[in-house]
Amino acid sequence: MSDYLLMAISAIFINNILLAQYLGNCPFLGVSKKMDTATGMGMAVIFVLTLAGVITWIIDVYLLCPMDLVYLRTIVFILVIAALVQFVEIFLKKMVPALYAGLGIFLPLITTNCAVFGVAVINVREGFNFMEALVFSFTSAVGFALALVLMAGLRERMATARIPQVLEGTAIGLVTAGFMSLAFLGFMGMV
Amino acid sequence: MGLVREFTKGLWDEIPPFRLVLGLCPTLAVTKTLKDGLGMGLAVIFVLLCSNVLISILRNIIPPKVRIACYIVVIATFVVIVELVMQAFTYELYQDLGIFIPLIVVNCIVLGRAEAFASKNGVLASAADGLGIGVGFTLSLTVLGSIREALGCGTLSLKIPFTDISHVYNLFGPSFKPFAFMVSAPGAFICLGMLLCLMNIIGNLKKS
Amino acid sequence: MLSALLFLLALGVISGILLGIASKAFYVYEDPRIEQVENCLPGANCGGCGYAGCGAAAGAVVGGKAEPDVCIAGGNDVAQAVAAVMGMVVEMAEPQFALQTCAGGIRAETKFNYLGINDCRALALLYRGDKECEKACLGLGTCFRNCKFGAITMGTQGLPIFHSEFCTGCGKCEEVCPNGTIKVQRSTERILEFNTYSDRLAPCQQTCPAEIDIPKYIDHIKNGRYEQAVLTIKERNPFILSCGRVCPHPCEEMCRRTLGDDPVSINQLKRFVADYEMNTGRHLQIPIGSDTGHKIAVIGAGPAGLSSAYFLRRLGHSVTIYEMQPKLGGMLYYGIPEYRLPKKILGWEIQGILDLGIDVRTNVKFGVDFDLESLVASGYEAVILAVGAWKYSSARLDREDETIGVEGGTIYLERQGLGIPNPIGKTVGVIGGGNTAMDAARSSVRLGAEKVYIIYRRTEKEMPANPEEIEAAKEEGIEFLFLAAPNNIIDKDGRLTHLEYLKMKLGEPDDSGRRRPIPIEGSETRLPLDNLVLAIGQYSDLSFVDSNRRISGVEKTKWNSIKCDEDTNQTSIPYVFAAGDAFIDGPGIAVEAIGNGRQAARSIHLLFSDESMKFSKDKLRVKGNKGHIPGTIFDKIEGIDKKGRISLPQMDPKVRIHSVDEVDLTISEEEALKEANRCMNCCLTCYDKDAKKVNA
Repeated sequence: MSDYLLMAISAIFINNILLAQYLGNCPFLGVSKKMDTATGMGMAVIFVLTLAGVITWIIDVYLLCPMDLVYLRTIVFILVIAALVQFVEIFLKKMVPALYAGLGIFLPLITTNCAVFGVAVINVREGFNFMEALVFSFTSAVGFALALVLMAGLRERMATARIPQVLEGTAIGLVTAGFMSLAFLGFMGMV
Repeated sequence: MGLVREFTKGLWDEIPPFRLVLGLCPTLAVTKTLKDGLGMGLAVIFVLLCSNVLISILRNIIPPKVRIACYIVVIATFVVIVELVMQAFTYELYQDLGIFIPLIVVNCIVLGRAEAFASKNGVLASAADGLGIGVGFTLSLTVLGSIREALGCGTLSLKIPFTDISHVYNLFGPSFKPFAFMVSAPGAFICLGMLLCLMNIIGNLKKS
Repeated sequence: MLSALLFLLALGVISGILLGIASKAFYVYEDPRIEQVENCLPGANCGGCGYAGCGAAAGAVVGGKAEPDVCIAGGNDVAQAVAAVMGMVVEMAEPQFALQTCAGGIRAETKFNYLGINDCRALALLYRGDKECEKACLGLGTCFRNCKFGAITMGTQGLPIFHSEFCTGCGKCEEVCPNGTIKVQRSTERILEFNTYSDRLAPCQQTCPAEIDIPKYIDHIKNGRYEQAVLTIKERNPFILSCGRVCPHPCEEMCRRTLGDDPVSINQLKRFVADYEMNTGRHLQIPIGSDTGHKIAVIGAGPAGLSSAYFLRRLGHSVTIYEMQPKLGGMLYYGIPEYRLPKKILGWEIQGILDLGIDVRTNVKFGVDFDLESLVASGYEAVILAVGAWKYSSARLDREDETIGVEGGTIYLERQGLGIPNPIGKTVGVIGGGNTAMDAARSSVRLGAEKVYIIYRRTEKEMPANPEEIEAAKEEGIEFLFLAAPNNIIDKDGRLTHLEYLKMKLGEPDDSGRRRPIPIEGSETRLPLDNLVLAIGQYSDLSFVDSNRRISGVEKTKWNSIKCDEDTNQTSIPYVFAAGDAFIDGPGIAVEAIGNGRQAARSIHLLFSDESMKFSKDKLRVKGNKGHIPGTIFDKIEGIDKKGRISLPQMDPKVRIHSVDEVDLTISEEEALKEANRCMNCCLTCYDKDAKKVNA
């Protein structure tokens, strides 16, 4: 049990997928302009990443490895994630409109989110077992959502600040992300 | 003339990731050193060039409804090829870049060019566009890699992939204390942010 | 090699089938343009545009929240493709303009001294800003800095000034304003807008039944922009000449200047600019929305009918008015005597309304010459019943209908309007205390009656007529019999000779707060009269309801008006609306009918666009001196130099009783400017102080 806890803390704080592993930066800068959008995106990523992490792990372990097709991993994973995201989107739109209203519009964005694909690949590269893969996928996504929401809070505040004209937009976003990353480095000593 | 224009726009006017703010993840992750940045850049050039050419050839066959899925399959195929080639011939680089090689699949630059350019233009123009954007991306990566390595380690390590030519230049002599911040994650963000700022300043100067 | 091929094939087939089935099984409708726009976008879902993926960006473009060039990755080609899909819609859009709604600026009281970042949004984070008024403009110019088109400058009064000629209606200023003082609207949206609790409204503007932006037009007058003032009033009221003459101006009762000296003569200022427009000899151009193709029939050409037709026309609909009388104007023409509102002036005003492109059929009566079936068959999609209140209430006297010399006030005045001779004796009695009674009595004087009495069962204090009217009637020698209730008609050979009335005393206050008159036993008094006019009340002639099948679905109220929704004017037949005196409330003043006509126009416009007609919860509902925004009817003012209001120019009573010429005269430009400068330009809680201005 404590192993999983350690893994969770590590994935959320120390090796934060956005700030330490540089995965999923495009939406991080794109979707963090408003708090509610960031929250929606964070939730959608938690949902899809957990699902995708588990399903790609099953496919890898029970299909690709036994059939000796490991070299197809990249292409199979991306296809599975794309199909999965599309399916979830269609499914939610009809069956759970309330949830779709909150997450729906963020789903297509996730197909090309390298965080999802990256975590799926890390799961199998590190040779996690099923539980580890589940916990790692979920907590990585939580780390992503946490960083995204924090960033949105900062950027909402920054909207009223006087920023030098040459730094406006993405530049100040990157510098802010840098300072957030620095803060997260402080968790390094925890484990 | 047209082809030259398609090629050169990737070098300044639309240079990623500065002008087109796409493909940030590899930009941040693999620019710890000059050689990593260069290797990544070459891999992206290959994938971008091949996928642009193939998609441009197939552009009239692919049904529009499933075009994104088709593009992803094409890109993924070339990424697998790059992955296998690098594993075979430049194992050290393959180890350094790690997960970011398969991640080229989800690099928005590749998919973005496929949709925005290759699906609407001829083969030669698409090839020029892919090459131009790829070279531009590589340039950005090498510049960023050089700055971070120079400040972070005090060295510049050059290695041409697929050859034995490699050299590590020591820039500042033995008394230099490496600025380790630059090779860590926060350094990557701040360094890229500052470069963007520099680009804006240059842009402003050009305008006035 | 083979296994790899088969595996990928199988995976592709499975996911293809799965998604194919899912997209059919879970199909949900959405605007087809969203997909068209999405097909133009790169589909990289990079999020660089700030929206959650290309689908969301496409939704935002179709929904009007984003520009076609939203995609940063796609470049110009994509923007043009998107614009091509959206092209038609973009062209049809009506221009929007930004407006400042706060009048505060430097005059507003401040709570603390702010030295922070020069940005309203930053200031608003601290206790919602440094102004005492929570809805105030903070004046740090964030809107000015965010306007890309140079349409905003910062004025010396600490308020932004908007220049509509540069404004593109992009909405950026509205977006960055933390207190919501800036409104970006289309002109049609402004017509559809009614006062709410969250608006910044002066007490007069809250009180005006037509919701005219009074401080704004007075400000235009102050600065000599008379045409702007006319257009400001006409945004809410097309009858500026008529209302400038006959309006009982409830707004002036709430004028806060009263606390210092006298209320501003708001109505005289309206009349001044109205006459200014008339004296130029041409009607000012009124902007009209593009044609919508909807047809509406308006029954009745009174103030309510003409007002609803005017606003519907401005919203771009085609309107036809049906009127039973030969002349247009309803009670303004037939009810109000020449000496108060000359027919020539009214005619000029109505012509201006009709010139917007409104069709008129006169001398046709609803329920007799045509009916709802024929209107529906002619392609009208909505009908407004603005039939007014033309029947007079009975005084409950025996033989009042049979006796020669006794008649209803409306008929008495209508005859004058029609130009039919009004045979009248030497002594005339008028029963009632409203404006109709005053009009009847003052008309009688002009028709040659030697002695005119007004018989009212309460005292002068309770009289509903305008104080100016009562004063004028007294000046013209009309005698008031207060605390007198008619009891019996005395006749000789069927001709009126005397009216018997009872003397009254005032008892306990009744439900309406007025003291109830109680008859004094044995106080019967006889008053010799040649004519008696009944002017105690009016109601609508709704005989058409029984005239044919289709209209019989319209329900009536117990006061014999048309039953309809108070907010939407919609009757029990969804495409039939009531307005003006025929509306639920029954007879009222002209300006109420005009405001009510705009409300009916709004409902019909929303009916066509399939939007809800219901008002939001914070709609301002002012009745008399109740229902104002809390805290805005402040009870003391400081820094006012006592000046007193201008006197109203009038014709000499000795001359005017022998003529039907207009009694009240227009004020001079000099006096208008003097009076306009008395306006304190009140907003919610702050106002201009004269003293401050003198020092500055």
